[in-house]
Amino acid sequence: MCVGLSAKVVKVSRGTALVDASGARREVSAALLTDLEPGDFVMVHAGAAIAKITQSDEEEASGLMEGLLS
Amino acid sequence: MKQDGVKTMNEKQGGTQSAIEMARRILSEYDGKPIRIMEVCGTHTHEIFRQGIRSLLPENVQLISGPGCPVCVTPVSFIDEAVMLALEKDCTICTFGDLVRVPGSSSSLQLARGKGAKVKVVYSPLDAEDYAREHPEEQVVFLSVGFETTTPSCCVAVQKAEEDGLSNFSLLTANKTMPAAYNAMMDSTDAYLYPGHVCAVMGTKDCRDMLEKGMSGVVAGFTPPELLTALAVIVKKSQEGKPFFVNCYPRVVRDEGSPDARAIVDKYMESCDSRWRGIGMLPDSGMKLKPEYGAFDARVKYDLPAIEGKENKACRCGEVLQGKCTPEQCPVYGKGCTPEHPVGACMVSSEGACSAFYLYNRK
Amino acid sequence: MNLEGKTVTLAHGAGGKQTAELIEAVFKKHFSNPLFTADDAAVLPRPEGKIAMTTDGFIVSPQFFNGGNIGKLSICGTVNDLTCMGAKPLYLTCSFVIEEGFPMDKLEKVVCAMEETAAEVGVKIVAGDTKVAGKGQVDGLFITTTGVGLVMEGVHTSGALAEPTDVVLVTGDIGRHGCCILLERDDYGIEADVKSDCAPLWNAVHAVLSEVPDVHVIRDATRGGVGTVLYEIAAESGVGFSLNADAVPVEEQVKGVTGMLGLDPMYLACEGTLVMIVPRDKADRVLEILRTQPHTEGAAVIGEVTAEEKGRVVLETRIGTRTYLPQPGNELLPRIC
Repeated sequence: MCVGLSAKVVKVSRGTALVDASGARREVSAALLTDLEPGDFVMVHAGAAIAKITQSDEEEASGLMEGLLS
Repeated sequence: MKQDGVKTMNEKQGGTQSAIEMARRILSEYDGKPIRIMEVCGTHTHEIFRQGIRSLLPENVQLISGPGCPVCVTPVSFIDEAVMLALEKDCTICTFGDLVRVPGSSSSLQLARGKGAKVKVVYSPLDAEDYAREHPEEQVVFLSVGFETTTPSCCVAVQKAEEDGLSNFSLLTANKTMPAAYNAMMDSTDAYLYPGHVCAVMGTKDCRDMLEKGMSGVVAGFTPPELLTALAVIVKKSQEGKPFFVNCYPRVVRDEGSPDARAIVDKYMESCDSRWRGIGMLPDSGMKLKPEYGAFDARVKYDLPAIEGKENKACRCGEVLQGKCTPEQCPVYGKGCTPEHPVGACMVSSEGACSAFYLYNRK
Repeated sequence: MNLEGKTVTLAHGAGGKQTAELIEAVFKKHFSNPLFTADDAAVLPRPEGKIAMTTDGFIVSPQFFNGGNIGKLSICGTVNDLTCMGAKPLYLTCSFVIEEGFPMDKLEKVVCAMEETAAEVGVKIVAGDTKVAGKGQVDGLFITTTGVGLVMEGVHTSGALAEPTDVVLVTGDIGRHGCCILLERDDYGIEADVKSDCAPLWNAVHAVLSEVPDVHVIRDATRGGVGTVLYEIAAESGVGFSLNADAVPVEEQVKGVTGMLGLDPMYLACEGTLVMIVPRDKADRVLEILRTQPHTEGAAVIGEVTAEEKGRVVLETRIGTRTYLPQPGNELLPRIC
């Protein structure tokens, strides 16, 4: 239901953030995440950054499988 | 969903391969009792088909495409209201592309466009607000659909319109919330694949509440490694014989979710009963603007009459959503109802179960 | 004649003195060659062999975009259509419908681009026509080009000739023109430096066919993109396709833009990228040749023709599963909620 795109924050200014996904850039709302900084990775949905991303999906998958089998 | 941007954070290819391999082995070697897994989220449905993940599951693991495509559960009457606003109230409709082809009782927005309706596809509710600010001579209505993930953006747009002092911007709301649906669907499935981005906003409390009721589930991300590991966790945990909950999307979903996002929704909207196409009225399953923001509520502003939408009787979308039948068991699927000429909403959105079946699975 | 600040008026289309001026100042200046006619029809030497003939209308909004304009596009489109039949483009005619008020200097830029593009592949513009339509009756400028080409000896290409075990190539990364136009229209607030792939491909294809005349299918992946073309060929040849999803070349920024909008690059238009289907034992050589030619350096093998799954395009995914490429169909709409 909620298509998300992971993107890197390039610039933050007054409630908006410029994000970059593979070179495609767009201004998105930063109103839902108050402490964004350039260099953060965020999940973008419908023109707003909805969450910070803390690791890659690959690290996450490895961590989960290790946890499951230990 | 593309992950390219994040890959640079870590290039542990070897580790991923083995994680995917492990997950695949757990899935393919499973020979226990049948497990029904409902992917609640339409984007999960879409990605699962696009990545061919169903082909990796053994026969005793069944995936059910649930009610989590906002387009699919948006009632016919909502489209009728939008068409009325466009054609009779002369409003400019701003909408996500997903809604443009959804059939109403007699017309979709696409057909209405042919009759002179102004329909603009936008990427974000904030783009609709921008458009309204740049076009003070037009009355702009944004079709506010979506779940907990999308609702905050809609509220940010209202906040912005308030700050900008706009009097030509309003929302036609059909926002929905998941917990009522989680409860309504409990009997249709053994475990939920919880919607990752809803949980990014709401946190994991709703899922843990379901666990208290004995309902198992995992929060899942959207990339192939994330989907495979989440399914593997369900299969593995199911064998332990007691209800479980695991957050399999920790890189995005925190237990507390996004308090900021929830705060802005609480400021502008309140819970309401809401009609789900195919499922019916669910109490406390929708969101609408609070009365004090009536100026931004298209139903109030344009004094819209209550509309009784006419659904096509032959369409079994409702049962498909509840996992009670597969798309192929619906009498109109693939015959009267195709992505080019959709009858039911599940065929309209590419995230709908019928459309995904049709596009990816058709023999 | 200085064209700056001048616009095309209805009088330019009336056939009188002003029409003559327009032709002199813009068209003759750039299309001039010994075969370009001032008479009612061009009279041309007859080529020896089979000729190919095609026509195409061009409507694009905006008319100027990153990597080209409607003029360049109108030559590339027809040159590439001839190219797909293994025909050396010989002659082109072009017909303009211009909206009243269209700036003269812009028109000249369009015509310049046509001249340059035609020169690159050695095709001659031999006749033209100009009509001026009232304000609002057309969107700026429409161009129709018609082309005649000479089919190379021993070459026979057709969408019906794909055979199981043949190899499928694309001559470059896909979806760039469609993505570029999407960005130029700026409906979604996305910025990216995506240049249209718009290019005439005769030289590259000529190099291939000179050495490997038995290429089975060549088709330009314009409207509907590579996905639509593959489904067309699958139906015409009665075969299936199996593609390696990871092998399909897509520029990073195109991935970024399509990712944001939930669109599939397989369904975005290309204007300088062809699908080629060649016998398996020739694939390596074809690829080698393409990679040395202008506009096709990024050529790649993306899959093969199969006897199974007739009429379908199967994708092998990164995780080793098989899934269908969705059938082409609807208006491209972003998927968000």
